[in-house]
Amino acid sequence: MSKIIDARGLSCPQPVLMTLDAIASGTDNELQVLVDNEASRENVTRAAENKGCQVKDIQDEGADTRITILKG
Amino acid sequence: MFGFNFFKSKDKTRKTPCPEDLGILVFENTSEVIQAENLLKSRGWAVKVMGPPPGIQSGCDLVIQFPLIEHLVLMRQLTEAGIPPLEMVPVTDPLLKPVDLFHTKDFGAYLMVRAANMKLTIEKETKIIVNISGGGCPDVPYLARKMVGNHLDQAPRPGKIGHTLCGYALELAYEEINRQCSQ
Repeated sequence: MSKIIDARGLSCPQPVLMTLDAIASGTDNELQVLVDNEASRENVTRAAENKGCQVKDIQDEGADTRITILKG
Repeated sequence: MFGFNFFKSKDKTRKTPCPEDLGILVFENTSEVIQAENLLKSRGWAVKVMGPPPGIQSGCDLVIQFPLIEHLVLMRQLTEAGIPPLEMVPVTDPLLKPVDLFHTKDFGAYLMVRAANMKLTIEKETKIIVNISGGGCPDVPYLARKMVGNHLDQAPRPGKIGHTLCGYALELAYEEINRQCSQ
C-alpha cells in the first residue's frame, strides 16, 4: 500500500516532519509526498535518505512535485 | 559616517545613563554587523546581535545592542577599525527596543529555532538535526547536507563551514537550540 502525504502549501520544516512521522509510524511500505516548492523537495528527499529510505521517484506534476519513497 | 541620534527625547531625558541603559548600533549592511560584533566581543564588550526595532528605518536587518554608558569608547573603537555605524540610538522608547532574533516553535516531537532567516529543526528525543531551511544563500544546501542527520553535538558548526550570512544566522540558531537543550 502507498500512503499519500499532502504537504502542499506548507513551509519547511513541516513537510519534512510529516514525512518523518509517516516513516516512523506507518505500516505502508511506500510513501508519496506532495510538495509545491523546491526547498521542501530538497529537504524531504534529504530527510528520507537520512532515515535509510530509498527515494524511488521524483515526478513534477505542474507546479507540484510527487516524491515516492520506499521505506528501508 | 554616523550620527548620534537622540530622536525626540532631547530636552526631557538628559539623564546620566545608568549601567542597565541600552543602546543600539545601526549599520549599513550585515557584513559590518558581523565584523563589529567580532571586534567588540574579542575586546570583551557585552554586546548582542538583535533584530532592528520598528522605530528604526535605516540600516540592515541586524543591529547590535550594547551598554549605553560605554558609547564613547565603542564608537571610537569602531571608527578606528573602519566600521563606524550609521547611527547610535539610545533605547528610550518601546518602538526603539530591538527585537529578539530568535523564534522557537515546538512541534511536539520536534523543536524548531529560527534565527533571522534560517531555521534549524531537531528531534527532541534524540537531538538529531532533521531539517535546515530558509536563507537563499548558495551554501545552504551544503550546510544542510553536512548537518542534517547528525546529533547536535556532532554536527559541524555552521559558523565554521558556512561562508555566507545564512551560515552566520544558522550558527546563531545552532547556539540558541543548544542553549535551550542544555536547560
